[in-house]
Amino acid sequence: MAPFDLAQPRTLEEAFALLDAEGARPLSGGTALMLMMKAGVLRLERLVSLRNLGLDRIEAHGTLRIGAMTTLSTLERSPEVRKGWPVIARALRTLSNVRVRNVATVGGALAHADPHMDLPPLLSALGAKVVIQGRNGERTMAVEDLYAGYLENTLGKDLITHVEIPPLGKRGAAYLKCTTRSADDWPAVGVAVVLGEETRIFVSAATDRPTRIADENALTGLKIEGDLHGSAAYKRQLLKVYLRRAIDEARNASH
Amino acid sequence: MKRATQATETPQVGRSVPRLESWLKVTGRAEYVHNLRLPGMLYGKIFRSTVAHGRIKRIDTAAAQALAGVYRVITSKEIIQLIAEPYFGPAFHDQPILAIDKVRYVGEPVAVVLASDPHVAEEAVHLITAEYEELPAVYGEVEAMTSKAIVHDVLRPAGTFPDLKHLKDRKNTNLALDFHLRRGDAAKAMKNAARVFEHTFTTQQVMHTPLEPLVSVAESTESSLTIHTASQSPSFVRIEIARLLGWPENRVRVRVPFLGGGFGAKLYIKLEALVSVLSLLTKRPVKVSLTMEEQFFTITKHASTFRIKSGVAPDGRIVARECEVWWNGGAYADIGPRVTQKSGFTAPGPYDIEHVAVDSYSLYTNLPPAGALRGFGIPQLVWAYEGHTDLMARELGIDPIEFRRRNLLREGRPQATGTVMKDAATEKVLERISALLDWGKPFDRGTGTVKKGRGIAIGFKACVSPTTSLAAVNVNADGSCIVYCSTADMGQGSDTAMAQIAGEVLHMAAESITVVHSDTDVTPYDMATLGSRSLFHMGNAVKLAAEDARNKLDVLRKELNLAADCPVSDIFKKKYGMQAGNVTGAGSYIPAYKSPDANGLTDNATPFWMVGGSGVEVEVDTETGKVRVTRLVNVADVGTPINPKIVETQISGAAIMQLGFTLHEKMEFDAQGQLRNASFAEYKIPGLLDLPGTMVNEAVMAEQKSGPFGGKGVGESGTFGVSPAIANAIHDAVGVRLTSLPLKAEDIWEKLK
Amino acid sequence: MRREIRFRLNGEAVSAQVAPHENLVEVLQQNFGLYGARESCGQGMCGCCTVLVNGTAVSGCLYLASLAENASVETVEGTGEPDAVQEAFVEASAFQCGFCTPGFILMTRQLLEEQPDPDDDAIKHYLSGNLCRCAAYPEIIEAVKLAARKRRKA
Repeated sequence: MAPFDLAQPRTLEEAFALLDAEGARPLSGGTALMLMMKAGVLRLERLVSLRNLGLDRIEAHGTLRIGAMTTLSTLERSPEVRKGWPVIARALRTLSNVRVRNVATVGGALAHADPHMDLPPLLSALGAKVVIQGRNGERTMAVEDLYAGYLENTLGKDLITHVEIPPLGKRGAAYLKCTTRSADDWPAVGVAVVLGEETRIFVSAATDRPTRIADENALTGLKIEGDLHGSAAYKRQLLKVYLRRAIDEARNASH
Repeated sequence: MKRATQATETPQVGRSVPRLESWLKVTGRAEYVHNLRLPGMLYGKIFRSTVAHGRIKRIDTAAAQALAGVYRVITSKEIIQLIAEPYFGPAFHDQPILAIDKVRYVGEPVAVVLASDPHVAEEAVHLITAEYEELPAVYGEVEAMTSKAIVHDVLRPAGTFPDLKHLKDRKNTNLALDFHLRRGDAAKAMKNAARVFEHTFTTQQVMHTPLEPLVSVAESTESSLTIHTASQSPSFVRIEIARLLGWPENRVRVRVPFLGGGFGAKLYIKLEALVSVLSLLTKRPVKVSLTMEEQFFTITKHASTFRIKSGVAPDGRIVARECEVWWNGGAYADIGPRVTQKSGFTAPGPYDIEHVAVDSYSLYTNLPPAGALRGFGIPQLVWAYEGHTDLMARELGIDPIEFRRRNLLREGRPQATGTVMKDAATEKVLERISALLDWGKPFDRGTGTVKKGRGIAIGFKACVSPTTSLAAVNVNADGSCIVYCSTADMGQGSDTAMAQIAGEVLHMAAESITVVHSDTDVTPYDMATLGSRSLFHMGNAVKLAAEDARNKLDVLRKELNLAADCPVSDIFKKKYGMQAGNVTGAGSYIPAYKSPDANGLTDNATPFWMVGGSGVEVEVDTETGKVRVTRLVNVADVGTPINPKIVETQISGAAIMQLGFTLHEKMEFDAQGQLRNASFAEYKIPGLLDLPGTMVNEAVMAEQKSGPFGGKGVGESGTFGVSPAIANAIHDAVGVRLTSLPLKAEDIWEKLK
Repeated sequence: MRREIRFRLNGEAVSAQVAPHENLVEVLQQNFGLYGARESCGQGMCGCCTVLVNGTAVSGCLYLASLAENASVETVEGTGEPDAVQEAFVEASAFQCGFCTPGFILMTRQLLEEQPDPDDDAIKHYLSGNLCRCAAYPEIIEAVKLAARKRRKA
């Protein structure tokens, strides 16, 4: 891996100042970033760690407010999450592996914009919002609006500080994914469903970003990418099957 | 971890002794080359070809050489100064240490950067550029037979194999070996047969992915070279390096500690020639340690195409069989020609067929080289002939186990080569699989979108021959014992098995015996740790060595007028007046063998046969084509197990590995020969969540009379039946037949639509 | 570029000069001669590089050593006597080549801290990020259950 500087600021202001330099990138859990740097596809001068910014708390007052630097393991084990949003804990159990979840963060998992990841479609379906801090203030945005394409987010030079998830209440919710090679493979398709007055369905992995669809009929027109996990036609079939199964699971999961 | 040295009357053979090195492994202290750091050592990082076939026009290393911390950049230019003909390989001397003039596959080593800091070496590799004049490339093994793209301008067979001599200097061909067998008159018998069936099956290119990636270290003086290497064949490495340098064997020392997995990837010669020349050129110790990604560009398993045709008599007996097999050897032959011949002659399967014709072809292509991988070609063959067998049984309306029973190659009957089957428990294996699956009982076919099916498959293998193993057994003055052998323990438990064999002879607990790892300055010659040969060959050598030591001790007892049962330490005390001296026993084993004649026939093709089969139950999701293996039973004839627990885990491990090759694993190349999935993120090996619902792994009661205490090899047998048994079970469940590996859910869904 | 960091390693206070781009496995190997954590797949998928940082398992080949500053780091070499997990792995024959074994042992310890009596499904899920090419998986599951029994007895 090419040498770089590592900075560990204690305030957001400091972090922004350090990030203004050429070749600087924020480092949250680093699980994806390290892979890209080791492979030589990303070459940086400076990493700015966000771990000392106090962004690692979970608060539940109706809405679930998660600090962006909360690790996926902390989220998975959180009693508030298990009680109020059990679908998140269930989804996390099959997200990558325990060591990744111990280090990877909620903010990083959303900002990375890899369409194969599990949280973006699920949090989108849950109607979650991200709180974004920029040099000139704070804004909020729906999670699904974070994505501009494959590995492309709309953050610019700003940082996610928090994720806010509205109460799930008694609505049924499910996230299913289908891996076509080993069980721990990247999914060929992912489907997140939250039932309710306004049913929210998001598909992922088959599309270049988490994509909302109204119902099964919308799959026909969906732009689907074939890859090593399956052809576009096969992924369309998997989406159809997994959508139906996810809706069934969500119905059974309602409480 | 107490070690007793006192004599024991407890039998050592047949006891599940925990691996001798167990505590080293669970505390992270087992020695691997991976761990080796020598003072002043340089790390080599490899710059690789980006084209599949091309003439090298220019390699620009200036920027890399200029990077701070880079010691030196080496290309073939420097290597030729040291070795005029720097080509290596076990069957052909066709593989350059670094590419010379031409590159023949994407990923071929072209240059090496040396630096004290591996990060610097890696950085500098990114600064090297090369220009190639691209040449037409060939990727498919059948296509390579007639392609105008020729991988090697001229063939260079190694002198060691007489059957390759006729290929010397041959031009305009990609054919690295053709093996032919003719027994009876297959064409005529086919014409007269009541029914004729023909199918073509293919397998994909896969990689061993040992978790300790290939790694070698060399240190040199003016006149000597020591190579520390994760190798399955230290004796071969010494001979090959000595040949390249024009040195006598005694100036090259090869040391091998534990291997973090091998499976055939670490055989013959891989990085050893490279680290040797790098060390000689720099006069510094040099380590080259591949990444997981780089392993895919080093050695793989042959993709293959197998056209199989059978004629069947009205009573359901197979009377004729024609086999045509094409092996995709990649850009360098490695041991491919041996796979072609040694596996080729078992292509008709474990069936008693009077008229047989086999044509087996080893082809060069512009893909990463292929060599031996757990089964030496056999899993590819069983995949085809057991799918074929099932399809025939289905067509003929005969129960698949009954059909196999009718045709099984039984004890005392001649195999295709004419060699008579001996100590090969084909019947027992078949019947045990049937019993474990409760074959005769009604079977639940599933409901709704989940359909169930079951299938079986059985295969066999001849052990490669003739090969030699030597061993020494030392009994020290206190009665303790050391075994010296060059078998590499890569997880198969050879240290433990050899200690059990020596212990059985010398009436000592296996746990008290030390096994010295391969060090060609110390341990005697061994052909290699491959093809399930070690337990039989090295086991016999160790047994002979231990018997020799025991006899010498008995002679000493008599000479010294000691009682026949006096402790060993008393012998030495009396002879030398103190605790001093030792006795060394030597053992050498080479089985009888007869080369095949012009028709591929011989009455002694192998010292022993391995038999393995699997039974499978699956569930198939008819909406997605996804397959779940709910039950997997694996049964093998391993002779008499020396260590039953290790035997069971070898069968199990082999079967799970083959499960990966059956369902997930495939090296995916694009149209330019670029590998698209050279990492664990995209090349998926089985994990815990991929295990079958239930698994049974069994050795049948058997004895290999010529083996040490009735034992023989076990490392590969668990792989034989897995792939075809699963395909047969899928067919049984949903009526879909797949003829190429891996068995992709998408392909099943395609056919179900 | 190099900077001294202090941390606790297997219970002992230590320091090391590290460059920002060096990962924890490299530092354990080159500065402390500890080879139990080892890089294999290089992508955090096989678990051979497992190290505990403040009691939490991480992939040491992706974890910058600098981030371990002031932390408590544990490796399979540990401090003293072998524990129930190591005993169980030996007794259940839960490894072959041994290269992945330290990672499985550390992950099993962490699993049993969280779930003292895991069933097969829990074991498979928790250890699914550790790969064993020798495929000693059935024996590993047995070893984890055996270790759980040993720990409950103790």
